[in-house]
Amino acid sequence: MNLRALKGPAVAAAALLFMVAAGCTDTTVQPKSTVTGANIFNDPSSYQEFLARVYAGLAVSGQQGPAGAPDIQGIDEGFSQYLRLYWECEELPTDEAIIGWNDVGLPEMNTQTWTAASTMVVAMYYRIYVQAEMANEFLRQTTADALAGRGNVSPTLKAQIQQYRAEARFLRALSYWNGIDLFGSIPLVTENDPVGGPPPKQATRVDLYNYVVSELNAIKDSLPLPGAGTYGRATQPAAEMLLAELYLNAGVYTGTPDYANALTAAEAVIGSGYYSIDPSYRHLFEADNNTSPEIIFPIEQDGNVTQTWGGVTFLSHGGCGGSMSASDYGIDYCWGGQRLKAQADSFYITTADHAAGDLRNSYFYYTGQNLANTTRGNFQDGIAAPKFSNKTSTGGTGSNATFVDTDFPLFRLGEAYLIYAEAFLRGGGGTQAQALTYVNDLRARAYNDAVGDSTGYITAAQLTLPFILAERGRELLWEAHRRTDLIRYGLFTGGTYLWEWKGENPNGTNAAGIATDAHFDLYPLPQSELIANPNLTQNLGY
Amino acid sequence: MKRARFIIGALLGAFWLVPLQAQQTTGTVRGRVTDAATEQALTGVVVSVGNHRAVSSTDGRYVITDVPEGTDSVRARMIGYAPASAPVTVAAGETAVVDLTLTQRAVELSAIVAVGYGEQRAGDITGAVANITPEQFNTGRIISPQQLIESKIAGVQVVDNNAPGGGLAVRIRGATSVNASSDPLYVIDGMPVGTGAGGGLSAGRDPLNFLNPDDIASITVLKDASAAAIYGANAANGVVIITTKKGGRHGPQIEYSVSASSSSITRVPSVLSAAQFRTAVTHDDSITLTLNRAAMLGSASTDWFNMVDRTAYGQQHDLVVSGSGESSTYRVSAGYLNEQGVIRGSGTERLSLGVNYDQHLLNDNLDVKLNARGARTYDTFQAGDVLGNAVSMAPTQPVYDPNNTTGFGTGYWDWNTTAASASNPVASLNLATDHGTTYRSVGNLEADYHLPFLHALRANVNVGYDVTQADRQTFIPNNLAGQTRQGHGQLSLANNSQANTVLAAYLNYAAPLGFVPGRVDVTGGYSYSQSHAEYPYLSENNLASNLLGTNGVPSCTAGGCLQNGKTVNDSKLISFFGRLNYNLLDRYLVALSVRRDGSSRFGPNNAWGVFPSVAVAWRLSQESFLRDVRQISDLKLRASYAETGNQNFADYSQYPTYTYSNPQAQYQFGGVTVPTIRPSSVDPNIKWEQTNSYDIGLDYGLFNQRISGAIDWYNKKTSDLIFPYTPAAGTNFSNRVTTNIGAMKNTGIELSLSARVLQGTGNHLSWTADFTASHNTNTLTSISAAGGATTTTDPTSGVSGGVGTYIQVLQTGQPIHAFYVCEQYFDPTTHKPVEGEYVSLADTIAHACDAQSLRPDHNPAPNWIFGHTSSFTYGNFDLSFTLRAYLGNYVYNNVASSNGFYQAVSNGGSPSNMSTSVLQTGFVVPQYLSSFYLENGSFLRMDNLTLGYSFNYRGQPMRAYLTVQNVFTITGYSGVDPTAGLNGIDNNIYPRSRTVTGGLSIRL
Repeated sequence: MNLRALKGPAVAAAALLFMVAAGCTDTTVQPKSTVTGANIFNDPSSYQEFLARVYAGLAVSGQQGPAGAPDIQGIDEGFSQYLRLYWECEELPTDEAIIGWNDVGLPEMNTQTWTAASTMVVAMYYRIYVQAEMANEFLRQTTADALAGRGNVSPTLKAQIQQYRAEARFLRALSYWNGIDLFGSIPLVTENDPVGGPPPKQATRVDLYNYVVSELNAIKDSLPLPGAGTYGRATQPAAEMLLAELYLNAGVYTGTPDYANALTAAEAVIGSGYYSIDPSYRHLFEADNNTSPEIIFPIEQDGNVTQTWGGVTFLSHGGCGGSMSASDYGIDYCWGGQRLKAQADSFYITTADHAAGDLRNSYFYYTGQNLANTTRGNFQDGIAAPKFSNKTSTGGTGSNATFVDTDFPLFRLGEAYLIYAEAFLRGGGGTQAQALTYVNDLRARAYNDAVGDSTGYITAAQLTLPFILAERGRELLWEAHRRTDLIRYGLFTGGTYLWEWKGENPNGTNAAGIATDAHFDLYPLPQSELIANPNLTQNLGY
Repeated sequence: MKRARFIIGALLGAFWLVPLQAQQTTGTVRGRVTDAATEQALTGVVVSVGNHRAVSSTDGRYVITDVPEGTDSVRARMIGYAPASAPVTVAAGETAVVDLTLTQRAVELSAIVAVGYGEQRAGDITGAVANITPEQFNTGRIISPQQLIESKIAGVQVVDNNAPGGGLAVRIRGATSVNASSDPLYVIDGMPVGTGAGGGLSAGRDPLNFLNPDDIASITVLKDASAAAIYGANAANGVVIITTKKGGRHGPQIEYSVSASSSSITRVPSVLSAAQFRTAVTHDDSITLTLNRAAMLGSASTDWFNMVDRTAYGQQHDLVVSGSGESSTYRVSAGYLNEQGVIRGSGTERLSLGVNYDQHLLNDNLDVKLNARGARTYDTFQAGDVLGNAVSMAPTQPVYDPNNTTGFGTGYWDWNTTAASASNPVASLNLATDHGTTYRSVGNLEADYHLPFLHALRANVNVGYDVTQADRQTFIPNNLAGQTRQGHGQLSLANNSQANTVLAAYLNYAAPLGFVPGRVDVTGGYSYSQSHAEYPYLSENNLASNLLGTNGVPSCTAGGCLQNGKTVNDSKLISFFGRLNYNLLDRYLVALSVRRDGSSRFGPNNAWGVFPSVAVAWRLSQESFLRDVRQISDLKLRASYAETGNQNFADYSQYPTYTYSNPQAQYQFGGVTVPTIRPSSVDPNIKWEQTNSYDIGLDYGLFNQRISGAIDWYNKKTSDLIFPYTPAAGTNFSNRVTTNIGAMKNTGIELSLSARVLQGTGNHLSWTADFTASHNTNTLTSISAAGGATTTTDPTSGVSGGVGTYIQVLQTGQPIHAFYVCEQYFDPTTHKPVEGEYVSLADTIAHACDAQSLRPDHNPAPNWIFGHTSSFTYGNFDLSFTLRAYLGNYVYNNVASSNGFYQAVSNGGSPSNMSTSVLQTGFVVPQYLSSFYLENGSFLRMDNLTLGYSFNYRGQPMRAYLTVQNVFTITGYSGVDPTAGLNGIDNNIYPRSRTVTGGLSIRL
C-alpha cells in the first residue's frame, strides 16, 4: 500500500473531523431518568400524585421508604419525620413521656432545656416550611392559568383539582397551626412568594392566626365531605376540627380567647353525623384503626407502601423495651425508647376522679419497670406505655413487622367531645348537661360500661377545668396534645406543677424537676434560620 | 467562516519562517553512546544532527544518514541523563564517527515531561511539576497506581485505604472542595478518565485498579494551577498524568516478573479480653447497670478478631512482550494479581491486558499511537458488619453451636433475642457473600502529524474511550441472627455501566522565532468529551429462601420487599484551549494558557467558563553572573497565577426535578395507594467552583545536580464552593439547597531535596537520598448565601453510635471538616475524665454536650507531611527504604466512643463487649462527642523496605528482591490506624497489614 497516497485524504479527514467537532458547542443534556418541572404535568395523574405528596409530608421522611432521598437534612432521616418531631415537641417536655436515648438534640427535649441549635427543634421548624412550600408549589402549579396553559387537563380533572387545591390549603393551614403553636411569630409564605425569592418577613402570631382561621373558613365548603374515597383526606369536619383547636387556644395565640367559636366548631364536627365514638378504645391505636368510626383526620401509615422510621413505627417500636416481647405488639424489634414519666401514670392511679375500672391504661406494662425515672437512659425506669400497636383489633398482625400499619389519629371525635366540655367550662356557651354527656360518653367507653351502667360517670360537680386537663391526659395520652394543653392551663413552665426532669440537666442525677422560665412556652427559632433570614427576631428569652 | 479562514491563513503565514532548503549533498554520522560511569552501552538514546535523528540500538550504536554537508553538532539525550553534544564535520558521501558519553542525572533538566496536550523539557517548565519514573516508584504489593507515588512528592498526599484494592484518595496541596471531589484529574496517555463521581462504579474499590502498575512508565503530577490550567474546569485539584510503557527499539523481548507475598494484620481495636469482660459483667459494683447480665455471660474465651483475620497470601505475574519493527514499536502485557485481605472474605483478583503500538508513517512525519488496556477485577468483600461485630460480640461466647441451641440452625453460636445485639461475625463471614466484578478498559488512538510543508507545525488528534461495567452482588441469608431480628435476609444486585468518549485535537507550533529572539511553542485545540452511565439495581429483603444465593431472586415473604430501579446519567464537557510558551535565551520563560469549558452540569447562564493562567520563570543559573559559579548547576525562580475550576459533582443540579416515591413511600389517597412526586430544591444558577492560585517556587541544583530540589509556596483561594446550605425557610423545597456558597483557602509550602550522597559505582557504595516536606493550612473563609447572610455552622460526618451524631463541622475560620466536640472535663485529682461533664465555651463546667460546649477542635488533615527515601547500591545489591511522617493530624476513635461504656453490657438484648477505653474513662453511658476520643494521629512509619539483587543470567539482566511494606509505625494513637481515611474517623476501618513480598524479574 502506498502510504503517501493516503496523505491527502488523511489530512483532509483529520481537518474535517476537527472542524465538525469544533462546531459542537451545545452543552445541554436533559435528565433522562428524572422528570423535571418542564414535563411533569404532561402526565395528568401528576396532580393527584403531587397532592398525595403534600399529605405524605406528614407521614414519610423522604421519597424512599423507609429512608432515602430525605426531605430535610442535617438530621438523621428517621428523626426528621414530621409526626415523630411533632410528637417529641408535644410530649417529651411534658409530664407524659421521657425518652432515654442520647442522640444529639434529644435529651434536652425531655427537660425543657433546648436551645436554638437543638436538632429536633430546628428540624421541626423546617418540616413546617417544607410542608408549606410543597402546598404553595401545588397551588402555583394548579392556577387556572397554569392549567389552561398545559391544555391537557380535562374539565372533570379541572373540577377535581379545585378540590385538591382546597386540600392543599388545609394542609398548609395545619402546618402553620403547628408553627403558631410551637414557634409563635414566624414568616407567612404563600403561593404568591416565589421559589428562591428573598427571605420572607416575619408575621406576628396574631396575623398568622388570623390568616389560618380565614383560610380554613374560606376552604371548608370546598373540601370533600366524608364518605367513600376520603379516608386520610382533609374533609369539612377535619377543617372544623382544626378550627376548634385554633379557637380553643386563641387566648394563647392571640391574647384574646375565643371559646365560643371553639365550641361551635366542635359542635359542627360532632353534629356532622359522620363520626361516632369507637366502642373499643384500643382499636383507635391498632393496625386496623383505619376502620375506626371515630377518626376524623389520620396520618396514614402502611407497613408496605408507607414506610418510615418515624411516625407510628417510631411510636410503637420506641415504646417497647425492657422485658416486653416485640411480637406481642406485632413488631419485630423493641427500640427501648419512650415511657411514662411518673406523673402520667398517676393520672390513672392517684387522682380522685379516677376509679380502678378505667381501662384506658390497660396496655401499660409494669413487669420489671420502675415507676420513677431515676435514670433517664434506663428504659425500665418509668412505666412502659405501648399505646400504639401493630396488632389488629381481631388479634392479627400488621402487614409488616418492621413498619406498622397503624395510622396516627391526629383528630378524632373523642377530642371534639373534650373541646366542647372545656369550651363550655371556659364560658364558650353550650350547656353543662351536654358537656357532661360528652365526657361521660368517653368515660363509659373507658370503663367498659354496660348499657345503663354508670361506673365511670362523673357528676356535674366533678366537671371542672382541672378535671378536663387530667381527663385529656388519660384520653389523649401520647396523642401529641399535651404541651399545648399544659400551656393553655398555664402549667407547662414555671413552678406550679413540677414533674420528673422538668428543667433539670438531662445528664444530671436529680430527677425531681425544677421550675422553668416562661420563655420555654415557645420553642426558639433555629439559630441557622436567624442567620439565613435577617428579617427575623428571636423569641424572647433565647 | 471567511473571517476564520483569514485568521488561519494569517497565522500560518506568520509561522512560515523556515526557509526552504536547496538540494544538498549529504553524509553519514555514526557512533556509540555509553554511560559515563559504567561505560555500558546505552539503548534508546535520541541522537540528532540538525533535523535528522536516530535512536541508539541495544549495543549503543546509532547511524544518521542524509546529514547535510558542513559543521554541526551531534546531540544526544535520554531520560535520566544530562544531554551531551559533540561537534561534527560532515563531508559529502563520507561517514563521520562520533562517540558520546552521557552522565546520569538525579533531576533531569532536559528530560521530557508530559504536560497537558504535549510535553516539555523539564528545565523549561514554569510550574510546579513533579515527574516520577519507575526507578522511584514504591515497590512490593502495589494494587492501585496511586500507591506508586505515595510519600514521593512534596504536596501530594495519598490517603490510605487498607483493604486490598480499596479506594484511595489523593490530595494535591489540600482539599479544594467540600462536596465535589477533591481528587485530581487523572489523564492516562492523554485521555482524561473519571474517578470519583465519574468512574467509581465498584463501591469500596479504587477506580484505577484496572491499570496494572507494572505498565506505567511515568507519573507526572501537575501540582500548581498554572500547569494544570490547561485542563480548565477539571484542574482545580491538580492533574496526574500517567504515561504507559511503550515498546523499545530492540528485537522481540520477553520480560516476566513474578512475586509472592504474605500479609498479616498489625493492629486491631483494643477490646476487653474474656477475663476483663467477665469482671465487667459480674463484679463491678461501682457501676449501676440496668440489668444484671451475669446469667448471660457464657464460659468460652474467644478472641473474635483472631477468628476473622488471617495470614493473607498474594501472587502477581506480569508477562511483557515488546520490540520494534522498521518504523514501529510495540508492547503487549498481561498481568495477573491475586491478593487476599487480612480480614477473611476480602480480596481482589485482577487479570489485565495492555497493548501499546506506535507506528511512524510518511517519512516519520506521522506518528500513530495506539494504547489500550483493560482488566477484569474480581473483588470480594467481607459481608455484613464483620469488624463491628468482632468488637462488640461477647468474648465469653463460643464461635460454634453444633447443637443449634440458639435456634437459628446455622451451626454458629448467636444471641437469641429480639432486641439489639451483636452478632457472630464468623457466621456472616462464612454464610453471607459480597462480591463484585469490574471490567474496565481505557484506550486511545493518537495521531501526531508534522506538517510536511512546515515541520515545526504539528497536528494531533486523540480519540479515546473509557468503558466500565461493574456488578456487585450481596447476599445475606435470612437465618443469620441479626437478620432474624430485622431484614430477614438481604439480596442486592447492582450492575453499573459507564462509557466515556473523548475527542481531543490540537495544533502545535514549536520553533525559534525569526523576527525576535527566542523560541515559541504554541498550542491551540479543542476537546469534546461525553459520558453515559446507567445504574440499575435490585434489592430484596424478607427472602423466602437462602438456596439461590446471589444467583437468583427468590420470592419474598412480605409486601414491598423487592425494590429495583435505574438511573441514567449523561454529561458533556466541551473545551477550547490554547497555550503559549516563550523561551528567551533559555533564561526567561513565559507560559500563558487559557481554556474555555462548557459543561452540561450548569444552566445556560453558567455553562461556559474561562480559565486563564500565566507563569514566568527565570533561570538564574543561565545568567552570566552565575554561569561561572560551578557549584550551581541549576537555579530557576518561578511565579505563576492561574484560575481553575471544579465541576466534578452530580449531573443535573441546575434542573428543577421531581422525584417519584419508591413503592415504600407512597400514600393512601382516600383508600387508593398512589405514588407521590416531590419537587427538589434547586438553584438553577449553580456554577463551577473556581480556584485562584498563586505559586512561587525555586528549583535548585548544586554540584552538577548532585543535590537538587525545589521550594514552593502557594496560596489557593477557592470560591463559589458548592455545598448544601440552609436557605431562609419557605424559600425552597428543602432546608438545604445545593449551590455556590462558600470560599476556602489553602496555603502551604513544599520542600524537596534529592541528594546523591555517595556516588560509588560497581563495588563501591552509592547512596541517594530524597526528602520531601509539605505543609498545608486549610481554612473555610466564608459561607455566604446569595442574600449576603453568612451561615456559620453545619455539622458533617455522621459517626457510628447514636443516631444523627455528627463529629465534624463546616465553620468559617476553621479548616473544612474540623472536628466538632465538647472538651472533656477531667477530675483535677484523679485525672480521669468525668462522665457527662465538659468545659463549656464560657470556661465553666457544663453538664451536657450541647451548643454551649460544642466547639471546633483540630482537623483530620496533617499540618506537615514528611517523606524520605534512601536508596543504596553496592555491587549487585540494592537496598532502599521509604519513611513517612505526619504531624498534627487528628483522628476520632469511633470504635472507642461507640463501644467504650459500661451500659454496653446491660443494654440491648445481650451484653456487648467494650473498648478498653472504658477502663480509663469508666463511662457508663456513651459520650460520643467527648474530646477524649479525639486523638493526635501523628506518626512515623516505614512504608517500604526493599532489598534487591541484580545479576545476569545467560547474558540477560535479572533481579530478585524482597520487600517489606509497613515495616513499623510509631504513633501515640490508640486505635487501629492513624491514617484513618480522609475524614480521620476510625470507625471499624480495615486494619493495616504488614506485607512481605519476594519477587523475581527476568528478561529473555
